[in-house]
Amino acid sequence: MKNAIWGVRLPLHLLYIFVGLLFVLPLWWSLTSSLRPLEEIFKYTSPFSLKALFLDRLDFAAYFTIFTERGFGVAVLNSAFVAAMTVLGGLIINGLAGFVFAVFQFPGRQFLFFVTVLSFLVPFEAISIPLYNVIKLFGWIDSYYALIVPGLANGVVIFLFRQFFSQIPRELAEAARMDGAGWLRILWNIYLPLSKPVIISAGLLIFLFQWESFLWPLICTRSENLKVIQVALAGFQQRYTTQWNELFAASNVATVIPLFILLPLQRFYIQGVTAAGFKG
Amino acid sequence: MTYRRSAWIAYLLLAPALVCLAVFRLWPIATTLLGSLYSQSIMQAGKDVFVGLNNYTQLFRDPIFWQSLWVTIKLNLVINPLQVFIALLLAIMANQRFRGTGFYRLLFFIPLGVSVPIASILWRIMLDPNSGLANSLINLAGIPSQPFLISKDQALWCIVAIATWKGASFWMIFLWAGLQDIPRQLYEAARIDGAGGISRFFRITFPLLRRPLLFVLITDTAVNFLLFVPMFLLTRGGPSYSTNVLMYEAYKSGFVYGDMGRALALVMVLLVLVIATVAMQFRLFSQEEAN
Repeated sequence: MKNAIWGVRLPLHLLYIFVGLLFVLPLWWSLTSSLRPLEEIFKYTSPFSLKALFLDRLDFAAYFTIFTERGFGVAVLNSAFVAAMTVLGGLIINGLAGFVFAVFQFPGRQFLFFVTVLSFLVPFEAISIPLYNVIKLFGWIDSYYALIVPGLANGVVIFLFRQFFSQIPRELAEAARMDGAGWLRILWNIYLPLSKPVIISAGLLIFLFQWESFLWPLICTRSENLKVIQVALAGFQQRYTTQWNELFAASNVATVIPLFILLPLQRFYIQGVTAAGFKG
Repeated sequence: MTYRRSAWIAYLLLAPALVCLAVFRLWPIATTLLGSLYSQSIMQAGKDVFVGLNNYTQLFRDPIFWQSLWVTIKLNLVINPLQVFIALLLAIMANQRFRGTGFYRLLFFIPLGVSVPIASILWRIMLDPNSGLANSLINLAGIPSQPFLISKDQALWCIVAIATWKGASFWMIFLWAGLQDIPRQLYEAARIDGAGGISRFFRITFPLLRRPLLFVLITDTAVNFLLFVPMFLLTRGGPSYSTNVLMYEAYKSGFVYGDMGRALALVMVLLVLVIATVAMQFRLFSQEEAN
């Protein structure tokens, strides 16, 4: 039986392995190269030998150097701080807005929701350049405010919360209202305990948005001590062009952190992006 | 629950999010429109003067603008269909059920954790003409080494490949979710009626996947019109302007040459271009649906 399965499936498995390798190979090469001394990185690539993809011994010097000498730790902490604050603030303000759109009736509801949807049809990249002028008026250029505040309100996340809250039966809220509960009690006791999945998927969306953002941090900050991880990486590749092992080490750190968060929660992430996308 | 009497609570709770959206998303669009009508004064540093449509007429007379527009269009004509097609293939692969698909799916998801800057940096080293992995692998197959990013004929296509490597798995998610919504009984019924794989795809999969496909195509188009990072990190718009997309030209005008008026005019052109393309895709697809 087992042989029969492998017999029929073997070409299929080979196809999947080939496609999988296309995705994994560059990252695998990056991983092994980061664990080599600098002078050995291109030793096995031209002409190519399989040794390029395997290691006889591990050399963690590159990881050590990026944190001790290149100040990469500051960038990791900055990104973690900016992402954490944006997730926290974003969940609160977008969650409240989604809650209001889902359960309240008030004049102007349709119009305000339309404006929300409109706001996420314009990609953030498109407005990064004019946003600079707005943030300059606030005097926030080169500060954490510039990095965090524009990312807080997010039309996609509001939409996500509204969709989720609309599925919770209204009778629950009505009953609580009959018993004299105010909106805060209803939110806290009825809606919040049910919202774990939407909070996780919204949190992941906001986290990835901030962790991967590049153009906006590039133009709104200048100081070394405000560099976020993606901007630090870009500066790195310009300044230490040939420190290949350190470049690999730094980009591995920047990739592994979101993957560690994303892969265990992939179910929520997929639910989140698809619900925000076309299921609405 | 109706709170007609206390609508102010609703406004109060909405205020933080909506004020932020208005200030940080909508106001910048307004400043784009307005700011593109101003230029920095030559007489007085730091003062802006109203110049009407001057930024635009200057732009339309500039051969670099037309070159950038052409590069942007060329890039998008290739990258959007390509990414949607590859994402669809991946989604179909991810949707198969046999032992091991869970593991393969995990491999397909890995580029989700890789940001565009990281993808660019990794591929720059891989595509290094002298010692990169890409050349040594194609040498194995007997193909001579290629210049890749330093060639004006290849650089743009290398960027297409890098962006697709990074982006395909993200777009796959939507199509895969769409595929899972298609009832399996439909395929069973078609199989009993003797429909082959290709016919099943065009009769069942494609029509029922129209909504997610349209969504992916439109969103992907908007993202790729604004693609900026690979040009910024790998080619600086070169060699000889062959990868100088409008977004990169806008960034350079604003933050390298300090000409905000020109930068905003370029953003305006980009916005119009994106909206026009998306509207066109939308109409094309809904017309097909009507037929």
